[in-house]
Amino acid sequence: MASNKTLVILKRELKSRLLSKAFIIMTLLIPVFLLGIFAFQNFLLSYESDSGTKLLVLTRSETMQNFVSKEIDSLVFVKNGYYKVLFDVTHATSVEQYITNRKPDLLGANLTGIIFIPDSALTNKKLKYYSTNPNNNTIFEKMRSPINRALVEMYFKDKQLKPEEISFARTNVDFEGFRVSKDEKIESEGYGNMIASFLFTFFLYFSLIMIGTMLMRSVVEEKASKIVEVLLSSIKASDLMIGKILGAAITGLLQMAIWMIPVVILISTSWFTLPQDFALKMDVSLILYFLYNYFVSLITFLGLFAAIGGMFDNDQDTQSAIWPVMMLIMIPFFIAITMPNNPDNAIAHIASFIPFASLIVMPARMTLISVPGWQVFLSSVINIMVMLVVFFVSGKIYRVGILMTGKKPSWGEIAKWLKYKG
Amino acid sequence: MGVLEVKNLRKNFDGVKAVDDVSFIVPEGAIYGLIGRNGAGKTTILRMIMNVFMPDSGEVLFNGDPAGEQFRERTGYLPEERGMYKKLKVLETILFFAELKGKTGKAVENEAIRFLKEFDLYDRRNSKIQELSKGNQQKIQFISTIIHDPDFIILDEPFSGLDPINTNLLKNIILEMKRRGKVIIFSTHLMEFAEKMCDHITLIEKGKVILSGNLSEIKTRFALRNITVAYDGDVSFLKNEPYVEHVEDFGKSIGIKVTDNKYVQDVLKSLLAHDVTIHSFMSNEITLHEIFVSLCGKDDVEVEIGGKSNG
Repeated sequence: MASNKTLVILKRELKSRLLSKAFIIMTLLIPVFLLGIFAFQNFLLSYESDSGTKLLVLTRSETMQNFVSKEIDSLVFVKNGYYKVLFDVTHATSVEQYITNRKPDLLGANLTGIIFIPDSALTNKKLKYYSTNPNNNTIFEKMRSPINRALVEMYFKDKQLKPEEISFARTNVDFEGFRVSKDEKIESEGYGNMIASFLFTFFLYFSLIMIGTMLMRSVVEEKASKIVEVLLSSIKASDLMIGKILGAAITGLLQMAIWMIPVVILISTSWFTLPQDFALKMDVSLILYFLYNYFVSLITFLGLFAAIGGMFDNDQDTQSAIWPVMMLIMIPFFIAITMPNNPDNAIAHIASFIPFASLIVMPARMTLISVPGWQVFLSSVINIMVMLVVFFVSGKIYRVGILMTGKKPSWGEIAKWLKYKG
Repeated sequence: MGVLEVKNLRKNFDGVKAVDDVSFIVPEGAIYGLIGRNGAGKTTILRMIMNVFMPDSGEVLFNGDPAGEQFRERTGYLPEERGMYKKLKVLETILFFAELKGKTGKAVENEAIRFLKEFDLYDRRNSKIQELSKGNQQKIQFISTIIHDPDFIILDEPFSGLDPINTNLLKNIILEMKRRGKVIIFSTHLMEFAEKMCDHITLIEKGKVILSGNLSEIKTRFALRNITVAYDGDVSFLKNEPYVEHVEDFGKSIGIKVTDNKYVQDVLKSLLAHDVTIHSFMSNEITLHEIFVSLCGKDDVEVEIGGKSNG
């Protein structure tokens, strides 16, 4: 279908793109930017936003206070002063009375909150928390476990149990994830693939939008500057579009391949070793599939970008018309990045067969879990069919659109273009 | 070389007939003018010849066969609205367009350099297009049009926006091309260029062919009983003279059609009697401009001011 002329266009596109500053800078910058995001997220997670919390733990007896304070005072964030925890015992008949007395402290900055452990906690484990911000989950998460341990210890104290038995009762359950796949042995799973799936999805997203926008701009430029008429006197519109899309797609593929080099080195050589928790459980065939899938995504979405570019002759109009295409990229992107919570959930499952979404969701799913071969095959078939349809429709719009200048066309007019011959 | 034939071309845009059953034949070795005011349909016709637009009906034949890839390969086309990649360098631009026509290699590069030297742009060969003046950009575009040594050169309004020096340069190149046996087809709304350069013309008005043929034959046909006078003074009395059939006043010159050739001397006498200063007086002579006005009614100059349209 392509002619020699297509090659001329392809060559020019590659030359003007690969050597452009924008391409070189973005290719280097996006991984740095992503690593920055991960580092920032890590910083946010480790940052003690609740530093300076002052709590008062109120009990009905000194005995209980001793059990609780022993546990709490041994906590790291109490020892290093992030949390200040005071203890008090009240014998007043009504706790409310006590709280009322401490109200100025609670309303001021002296106390963040008061945790009241009634004696009944030894039977029903129900505590009370008094604060201006009574639903502070951060504090509950931090205090739940030590207080529980103290209560357990106190409860079993007189039950003549061995310390190991108490220790067992105190210990919470702990999950360790194991990946089960068809051909591999069962292995314990770290965070490596989760991070890889994030990275792949982000790469896909950034590169698609970047390469797509570049192509759209170049179509608008050719249209607005009327170069297209000279081009069309030498080359068929469809050949021109194929040349431009292939040029942009190869650029995108090359960019992705550059980004994948470190991943391939990590999984296929032993030059670098990641900590056990972050080890990557994948082989090169997944990367190859990922690149193949990305190429199909590029051709599909670039067709849409080219068609939008062909409709208008200035960047503003294209910006306002491109949002449906952006949605087609962004919705699956969000599905893909939230997937690590449960990669086999129904939405992810369905989305990996929905046209357009499949291109972005399936690779992330495959990175996280072992997807049956028939599913990969089916999604591939769907993707290629979608690609052909998009290419056909975009080609029609592009062909008519690139010669229409002046008036901004309505969607109704664009629909009519599909019926034009030639 | 071959003969290009345009046959019953029609093209509608949203129900408006832009080109309405246009036919003409471009003979070998000619400079062919497609003339008409702005918006008459010239550009649309040229675009259909170049396959930029598909005609609704009709065809473009080259030596009797539909003009296809082979014809376009041998054609250089300069569209009305000029455009090049702003960031591409001058020499690269020319070579890119040559490659699009299938010409690559050292020979075409030498040719490009020869043209650049001829147009006095050799020292700008590594400048980006956007760094060039508008006039120089037009020169580069023109070189890009003819770099592959085409047999047919199609120029849409080639003189619009050119300064007198570049106009002259372009005119000479067109004439040089003609001497080398090339066929040049150009569209223009400027009658004086068409008049000076064309062997054949087709006059287009509202998408239709009004007049077509050999320019000197057309002029002979229209010149009969016609007098062209360049003058100063008041000539309004002429309308009332019984032997005057029709008067077109262009301000400084006037076209007069008399009812019979024998009245030519009477016109001269009458002008002198009315104290009109005569700079030139030509009988049986007519300008293309006068033919155009007599056929299309209104003066095209009026229309030209209204802004440009897509031809």
